[in-house]
Amino acid sequence: MLLKSCSRLMLLSTTAAIAIGFAAPNAHADIPDENYRPVLNHLLNEVMPPKLDDFHKANAQLSTSITDFCADPDADDLKDVQEDFHQAMDIWQEIQPWRMGPMVANGRDQHIEYWPDKHGTAARQFRKLLFSKPAGYTDPEQLSEASAALQGFPALEEVLFDPKNTAHMTSSDEDGVYLCQYGAAIATNLETIAGELRDEWPEFADAMATAGPDSMDYPTAKFAATDLYRALHEGILIISAQKLGKPLGDNKQDAKASRAESEVSKRSLRNIAHNLTGLFAIYDGKWGDVGSEGTGLAALIDSSLLDRSFRLNWQTVVDALDGLPASVEDLLAQPDGYDKLAEFKSQIDFLTTLVENDIGGNTQLGGGFNALDGD
Amino acid sequence: MRHQRREFLKLMGVGGAFTLLPIDIARAAGTPAPEDRAVYISASAGDADDYYVSAFNASGKILFEQALPGRGHDIGLRPNHVDVAAVERRPGLYGLILDRHTGDVRAKLHCPEDRRFYGHAIYSNDGRFLYITENDFDHARGVVSVWDAEDGYRRVAEFDSFGTGPHELHLMPGGEHLVIANGGLHTHPDFDGRTALNIDSMEPNLSIIDRRTGKLIHQASLKHDWHQLSIRHLDVAANGTIAAGFQYQGEINDQVPLVGIWQPGKEIRPIEAPDNVQYRMRQYCGSVRFDASGQVFGISCPRGGLVTFWDAKTNGFLTHIAAPDGCGLAATDRPGEFVGTSGLGNGWRLDAIRRKRVELPDDSHKSLHWDNHLRRITA
Repeated sequence: MLLKSCSRLMLLSTTAAIAIGFAAPNAHADIPDENYRPVLNHLLNEVMPPKLDDFHKANAQLSTSITDFCADPDADDLKDVQEDFHQAMDIWQEIQPWRMGPMVANGRDQHIEYWPDKHGTAARQFRKLLFSKPAGYTDPEQLSEASAALQGFPALEEVLFDPKNTAHMTSSDEDGVYLCQYGAAIATNLETIAGELRDEWPEFADAMATAGPDSMDYPTAKFAATDLYRALHEGILIISAQKLGKPLGDNKQDAKASRAESEVSKRSLRNIAHNLTGLFAIYDGKWGDVGSEGTGLAALIDSSLLDRSFRLNWQTVVDALDGLPASVEDLLAQPDGYDKLAEFKSQIDFLTTLVENDIGGNTQLGGGFNALDGD
Repeated sequence: MRHQRREFLKLMGVGGAFTLLPIDIARAAGTPAPEDRAVYISASAGDADDYYVSAFNASGKILFEQALPGRGHDIGLRPNHVDVAAVERRPGLYGLILDRHTGDVRAKLHCPEDRRFYGHAIYSNDGRFLYITENDFDHARGVVSVWDAEDGYRRVAEFDSFGTGPHELHLMPGGEHLVIANGGLHTHPDFDGRTALNIDSMEPNLSIIDRRTGKLIHQASLKHDWHQLSIRHLDVAANGTIAAGFQYQGEINDQVPLVGIWQPGKEIRPIEAPDNVQYRMRQYCGSVRFDASGQVFGISCPRGGLVTFWDAKTNGFLTHIAAPDGCGLAATDRPGEFVGTSGLGNGWRLDAIRRKRVELPDDSHKSLHWDNHLRRITA
């Protein structure tokens, strides 16, 4: 409770500081278009490519480990595969909010992770798959033409973490053999998709970084940078509305952990921790060992106080999440779990207001007359 | 921006928020081409909650600006007449009939107390009747009001729009039927008049009614899974094909179509752009306009800063052109060509065939935020 009060105090104090006018005196002066270009170049050409390379490598490792496991299945090796799944998923959750260009081309983000799955399509199709065991789904190439719900991480999660399926696999019965081959096909397909994403990114990044009046896609650097701001803004909104709001439901009685992301592998809140890492990289320009501090959207903010307060608020949210278990299910199992989850959502919502008002406003990337208030 | 506009007007020899500039189209030697004589008219805004109806010529030169009491939306053009109708955007209380050449106010329309204007108006082909979409907010019912332009713009009738939250309306070819985009959103002045109160239960549709009797002729909806696609804007080609743009009220990462083509009597056919364009449309279409040929239509997506172009003959996506905060669209007399305006003050010629965007050369139009819709007046 003390911690909660402290975090509230911190959030409120920052708001108050901003409200009484610590914003930069020239906050309303137009930021020259050329100021956006180094931010674009840094984030898209320097920061993101190594992460996409890591994502590809993690999927390659996952593909190798599941293939090795399937050659001689046992429970210990399954744990290794599960750990490789988590490693690949961690990186995916970091890049997931960078929804732009090759990430969304050809439905790629949905092929990597079909989520949210409003109608339970994946579970329904998975049941049918196990019943009929079509051979085509054990071939990565044929699988890549199949329903997105059967291609990516959620399907692999069912294979690797649902106790019924893992029991089949470790006993190598007929279902287990099929599941192993299907899981290996998913991992190989993911490796292929991750490779395509990595390979297509540089052309997109160059188009963004060289934005200019002759481009029919990005006529100004500021317009291109808007996509980065939107990724940050929408990423926070998705965490709030979908990753937290859906399992929370309308009230305590309506709460349901199974509506959270990746609950079969019990990592829904771990996903959010990694989302926050990837999102903060858009602001800060530093992402783990890659990049350097203050070279993301932060470079456009001409107020050290606002910058510091945003960082402090963001860290407060990260720290709060660190104190929670890895999954919504485990959190809701605690006596005050629902309240903790609701409180965490309110902290995310506060970050949303900071992103909209402070980051959107001070970077001048928050949207125009029609975009913000159309009809 | 307001200051810049004032400075510009001073340079032009006039000044003040309510000054009307005379038409000042530079006349070159010889007969100008029809497009060179075209006038574009739109609702607009300054930087200080000041709103206007403004007109500019084919070069982008401001011809007049007329102050409005509140934010406008679309402009209805009376055929073969100087009148244009500027109806306040939802929840609107006023409508002004202006002289298209000067911006002079010729008549005022007052919304009944239990109704609110929804920003769009259209005249009958003979110019006698003006039709306006309205909200009967106490009954969550859309209506189309009828005003007699030959009788001092007296409100003479009111028809059911056959849906909630009616927005844009157009005449069908032949001029006897009206097609209405019922957006499905219920709003009420007690809740600011704009906040949607029925997101979970909204039921948008396209309805065609007889403009004389109000009788429903055709109606179509999207499948229930897409009931949160608010059908807000539309245009009608000369062959009766209706193109519609949607605004999605659901999640920002749901995959839903945002454009539909309707042949009355059939189902609405949803069409989508390639994923990387569809995503950039940001679940929101702002304005729909057919080109001069009636085959190509443009749909602006101001949240994504794109104008998308579609082929009504093949029901397919053609191309897209980036247009930051672009929303207003009007067809020129050249196939595949449009003039677009933006809330940032830009005006462009957009060529869907050659995928080309050219800024209008005169900078005076850049002093305003151009609102949702743009209309072209042929001289």
